[in-house]
Amino acid sequence: MTQQITQAVPERSEQPAPYDPPVVPGRGPTDWRGGWAWGIYAPLILLGVAVAFRIYQAFFTFPWGLDSSTPQFFWLWRMAVVVSLLGVGIFTVSWWGWLLQTARTIPQRISRREEVRRIAVFWGLVGATSVNLYIEASFWPNQDGAFHQTLVRDTAFTVSHIPMFYLFFPLGVTLAVGTYLYGRTRLPNVYGAGKGFPWSFFLLIAATVTEVAQVAMNEWGHSVNFGNAGAEEFFSVWFHWPFVLYGWLAGGIFALWGETILRLYQIEDDAEREETADAPAPQTVPAGGA
Amino acid sequence: MASSVIDVRAGELRALANREYRYIDRKWDLMFWVTAAFVVGAAANITMLLFAGDWDFWTDWKDRQWWMTITPFATIIIPSALQYIQWRAWRFPTGATYTAVCLFLCTWVGRLIQWKYFINMPINFVWSATWIPAGILMDFILMQTRSFILTSLVGAGAWTIGYWVANYIMLAPFLQPTVFMGHTLTVADVQGITYIRAQTPEYLRVIERGSLRTFLQETQYVSLAFGTTLAVVGYWIGQFIGRYLSVWPIGRFLKQV
Repeated sequence: MTQQITQAVPERSEQPAPYDPPVVPGRGPTDWRGGWAWGIYAPLILLGVAVAFRIYQAFFTFPWGLDSSTPQFFWLWRMAVVVSLLGVGIFTVSWWGWLLQTARTIPQRISRREEVRRIAVFWGLVGATSVNLYIEASFWPNQDGAFHQTLVRDTAFTVSHIPMFYLFFPLGVTLAVGTYLYGRTRLPNVYGAGKGFPWSFFLLIAATVTEVAQVAMNEWGHSVNFGNAGAEEFFSVWFHWPFVLYGWLAGGIFALWGETILRLYQIEDDAEREETADAPAPQTVPAGGA
Repeated sequence: MASSVIDVRAGELRALANREYRYIDRKWDLMFWVTAAFVVGAAANITMLLFAGDWDFWTDWKDRQWWMTITPFATIIIPSALQYIQWRAWRFPTGATYTAVCLFLCTWVGRLIQWKYFINMPINFVWSATWIPAGILMDFILMQTRSFILTSLVGAGAWTIGYWVANYIMLAPFLQPTVFMGHTLTVADVQGITYIRAQTPEYLRVIERGSLRTFLQETQYVSLAFGTTLAVVGYWIGQFIGRYLSVWPIGRFLKQV
């Protein structure tokens, strides 16, 4: 009987040691080519795409970008909408899919070094989201104001709308949700399943989704404005105002930095506490001795 | 007794300042301040563009009634939020200046790349205002008063007047009188008539209303006073953003689904 019980209950295996990646010189958790690499590459890639699109506009706007009824406009500009949306769609499915797929196999028990590296990568993604917010809310809107106040629009898919509304706006949703998925699957101590959905990401994702949804109201407003008041383009017109809400909701991004820096301090405290516990007790020397 | 408490507290702060960290170094500071600049500049720029952009795009729209009334309101919102965030996090009285610098850079990139090199408007017609002196003033008031209430009351006035004074230096040459086609106009008016903005309704008429010029410009000071009042409201909108959309959510979670 005793033998049966002993056989039925498997021996409790020891918990595996936390995963600690091998040390590679120059690629540590807080090295520029280590944990911070994506914090540099990702913003540069985004800025590069924006600049490349701006150069494309410089060549093709004034010859073929002002009359939406021409075949050149169809191929150079309407197809740019399709390519942009397809590109963002493919990138989104690939990145989110990779994050979720690999989440099943990556170690969840990790060393402090590895957690710090993941927080650095997370900051890189937050930084990329911040740069994308700039491109969405400043770089292209400046062009939109310049273009539409000086040139007649004859379509909703204008040269200045295409990179803004159909490339970088949806990319904002991709980056915000993707950063959440990274935090949710890679930083269990900060955004683990047991904690619920963070308010910080709720606000940031709401900002990016609001921005995309507002495109429809904007185009509807322009059609109303065109009909009632003639072809007038005031930039501070009422149906542009909800875009501002997005800029305000994006304030949630500061909470992401706040939450993770607090975790970094916890990691530092834990490491210090452990070292203090491991250190040999100071030897007491009797008075007058030695 | 009191001095010993202060000594203990000073010792604690000194130990904190001199603490050796394993993982936290200056790279974290650099990455934060640089990447945060983009979202701060973007939020400030989109708020300015869509609430008061028209009055900042063109020299002839920089008038003495609307420009100084609406623009300080629209541009104080995000600096106020950043004042709260930076004061709360580090006791840095730098939020307004930081935002003003970010906004200035974002606006100038836009003016050069989009307004000058895309649609070929001369930069002395579409130059951007500056908010940096106004930001320094408002941060100085926060540093001295250590109070958001006083900063909202006094700082909002400093922001509005500082904004006007700093930009008047650049605007003054464009307010000089000139005779154009038999009419006495300002240089800014002539710019507005010369460089056609086909999609705005005002390309055939003078933007600034005549009453502003006939009332010996006293309306300018009335506008500054009203602009200050609006800026106080804008300051508290910014405080709401800083307090409840940026700092309050730290470590808070919605209920699990």
